[in-house]
Amino acid sequence: MPNYPEGTVRALLETDLVTPATRAALEARLTASTIYEPQFFDADTYRLLQAVAARIYPQPDREAPILLAPAIDKRLLNGDADGWRYDSMPPDREAYRLGLGGINQAAEARFQQPFVVLDEARQDQIIELLAAAEAPGENWSQLPQGRFFEEMLAELTEAYYAHPLAQEEIGYVGMADVPGWQHIGLNELEPREPEEL
Amino acid sequence: MPDEETLEESVLNPVQPEIQDPLLREILEENELQADPSRNPLEQPAPLPDPNEIVDCLVIGTGAGGAPLIARLAQAGLRVVALEAGARHDPKTEFATDEKAQNFLFWNDERLSAGKNPVAFGKNNSGIGYGGSTLHYTAYTPRAHRGDLMLHTEFGQGVDWPFGIEELEPYYEEVEQFLGVSGPTPYPWDPGRRKGYPLAPLPLNGAAQLMERACAKLGITTSPAANAALSARYYQEGVGWREACTNRGFCQAGCSTGAKASMDVTYLPVAEQYGAEIRTGAYVTEIERDATGHVTGVVYEQGGRTVRQRCRNLFLCAGAIETPRLLLLNELALNSGQVGKHFMAHVGMQVWGTFPEDIRPYKGIPGGLISEDTHRPKDADFVGGYLLQSIGVMPVTFATQMVRQRKLWGQPLRDYMRDYNHIAGINVLGDCLPHADNFVELSDEKDARGVPKPRVHFTAQENEQRMNRHAERIMRQIWEAAGAKDIWAFERYAHIIGTARMGTSDSEAVVDPNGRAFDVPNLYICDNSVFPSALSVNPALTIMALSLRTADKFLLQRKAAG
Repeated sequence: MPNYPEGTVRALLETDLVTPATRAALEARLTASTIYEPQFFDADTYRLLQAVAARIYPQPDREAPILLAPAIDKRLLNGDADGWRYDSMPPDREAYRLGLGGINQAAEARFQQPFVVLDEARQDQIIELLAAAEAPGENWSQLPQGRFFEEMLAELTEAYYAHPLAQEEIGYVGMADVPGWQHIGLNELEPREPEEL
Repeated sequence: MPDEETLEESVLNPVQPEIQDPLLREILEENELQADPSRNPLEQPAPLPDPNEIVDCLVIGTGAGGAPLIARLAQAGLRVVALEAGARHDPKTEFATDEKAQNFLFWNDERLSAGKNPVAFGKNNSGIGYGGSTLHYTAYTPRAHRGDLMLHTEFGQGVDWPFGIEELEPYYEEVEQFLGVSGPTPYPWDPGRRKGYPLAPLPLNGAAQLMERACAKLGITTSPAANAALSARYYQEGVGWREACTNRGFCQAGCSTGAKASMDVTYLPVAEQYGAEIRTGAYVTEIERDATGHVTGVVYEQGGRTVRQRCRNLFLCAGAIETPRLLLLNELALNSGQVGKHFMAHVGMQVWGTFPEDIRPYKGIPGGLISEDTHRPKDADFVGGYLLQSIGVMPVTFATQMVRQRKLWGQPLRDYMRDYNHIAGINVLGDCLPHADNFVELSDEKDARGVPKPRVHFTAQENEQRMNRHAERIMRQIWEAAGAKDIWAFERYAHIIGTARMGTSDSEAVVDPNGRAFDVPNLYICDNSVFPSALSVNPALTIMALSLRTADKFLLQRKAAG
C-alpha cells in the first residue's frame, strides 16, 4: 500500500503551479476552523453524526482529524441538492433525521446504550449492521437503510477526499496543473509528483 | 513545434496577423476595454428586452443542442435570442482544478430517480451555464454508425430513425472540422470517410496504455479515440486561436484552458459575433400560445424579475429531462402521448482494477483509447452494440462511485484509496432500447421555485442486462490480461436520451424528421430528447450535428415559404 511524503500539497499551494481559483478552494478547506457550531442539527444529533463519521473515516493517524460533519450540516441548512435523489428516499433533511435516529435505535436495541457512548468496537458492529441493511430500529420502516448508508457514505467521502490532506494521502497532485502535464504515460512522473515512500 | 511551422504547414490554421508579445497583447486588450467597456461580456448588465419586440428565433438552452443552431440562425441574419438558465463564466479565472468547487457546473435542482436502476443526475450527465452540459462533457466525440439509426430494420426491435446516417454525415464533418476534433485518420471502424479528423489524436495516458497492451494480446483492435480537445493550437473562425490541451485530465469538471470544445468557446462566441443575444440566468417557466396553437413567446425568471419575450419561432433545447418537463408543465405538443416517454440511458458499465504500474489517473484526456470491435460482436445475445474506452478519473469522483458500489468503510476504505495512483478503469457505452416502463413525469413534490420536480423511471430491461453481462465479461478479460488485481465492476447508466421522440407519424412521435413539433407549427425541439434510439456511442457529436441540420431545415422551410 503506497505512502506519500507529508507536506507536498501544502508546499505546492504556495507555488505558481496552482491557479488562484484552485488555491482559494483548497486553502479554504486547509484553514477551516476546527471548531464548528452546528446550525442545522441539534447538538446531540450533531455529536451522533460526528461519531458515525469517525467510524466511517477513522483518523487515528491525524493530530487534527479532517472534519466531515460540517459539510453535511451546512448543506442541509442551505437546502442544497446534487441534482437527484432516490425516489424511495424522503427529502435529505428528513432522511438524515430518520437515519441518524435509526442508528441510535440500533445501538439501543443491541447494547441498550446510545451510539455515542459505545466503544469503537461496538460502534463498528452497528455500522456493520447498517452497511448490511440489517440494523434494527423502527425508523427503518420509513427509510431504506441500504440507500441511506450509501448516500451518507458518498457524502462523507466527498467531504474527505476533497480535503487537500486527504488528497496528499493518496498521492494526488492534479491541482498543480498550471504548466500542464507532459509525462502522462505509465510510470512517467514529473518532478512535482511525489514518489511513493 | 514552433508556432511558425504550424502556421505554414496547416491550411486549417490560416495565418492571421497576431501580436506575439503577451504583454503588448494584454495592454492593447485593456486599452480597448477602457475605450469601450461594453466589449467585456462579463460586465454587461442583464438586458431589459423591449416588451413589444418579436424575435425571429427564441432558443431555450445553450448546450450541444442549442448552441450550433443559435450560431447558424444568427449567421443567416435572423434575430436570435437564447435563454440560458445558468451563468456565464470565465473559465480561465473562475474554474478551479477542484471537483467540489466546480459543482456549479451541474444542474443540481433535484430530480427524483425511480425504477429498479435509478439514474444519477447532476454531475453524472446534466449541466447548466453558458455552454450547457458541454461544460462538463469529456469531449468524447465518436460518430454514430449507420446501423445505430436502423435498429428495427436490422434486429426487428427498437426504433429506426426517420433518416439514414448520410443525412448526418455532412454535419459530422462540419462539426469535427469546426471544433477541431483530435482523432485517428483513417478511422479504423469507418475507413471510408470523405474527410479525416483535422488534428492528430491526443497522447495516451496510463489507463489507455494498459488497455492498448491488453487488447493487443486478446486480438481486440484499439485506436486513440476521437476527442473534441485540441492536440495542437487551432484557429477557429469567430473565436480566434485556441491553445492545445495541456493534459489536465479535468474535462468532466470544466476545462480552464479552452482546449476542450465546449460550446462557450466555440459556437456561442460565433453566434454572438453574428448578433445573437444570449441571456444568462434566465429560467423559463411558461411557454405562451395563441388561439391557433402557435407559440407566441415565453416567460422567464431572471434576477428576481419576470420577463416576457415574444417570438415567431421557439427552439426548445433544454435536454432530455428539462425539455419534456417544460412541455408537460405547459401542456404543449402532447397529442402523440409521447412526451416524457421512452426515456433511455446508455449502458455504461465500468470495470476497475489495481495495477503494479504508477498510473496517476488524473493526467491526460480521460477517454484516451477506444475500441468499436464490440459494435456488433459475433457472440452477442442482444440488440445493438457498444464501444469500449479507457477512462481516467479524478479522486473525488472515483471515491464516491467506488463507495456506492463496494460499500467500503473504516480503515479498509482509506487503505483502498491509497492505491488511487495504481487504479485504472475501462468503460462501455452502449445502446438502450426504448421501453414503456422508462419515462419522465411531473411529481407532486415542488422545487424551490415552486415548479414540480421531474420523476424519472428507469429499469434496465432484458436487452440492457444482456449487454451489461457481455460488456463486463470482456472488460474483466481485458483487465486480467493487463495484469490487474482486485477487479470490480460498477453498473451505471449514463447520458439521458429520448422523451420527445422524432418520427414520421404524429401519433408516434413528438417532432417530425425536421425537428418540428407535429402539434405546434412554430416549435422546434433539438437536443437528446428527440433521439428515437440511444445510439452505441456518446451522444454529444450527434446532438451538435442534429442542431445544425435542424437549423438548415428551418431555414429551407422559411425560404420556401418566402
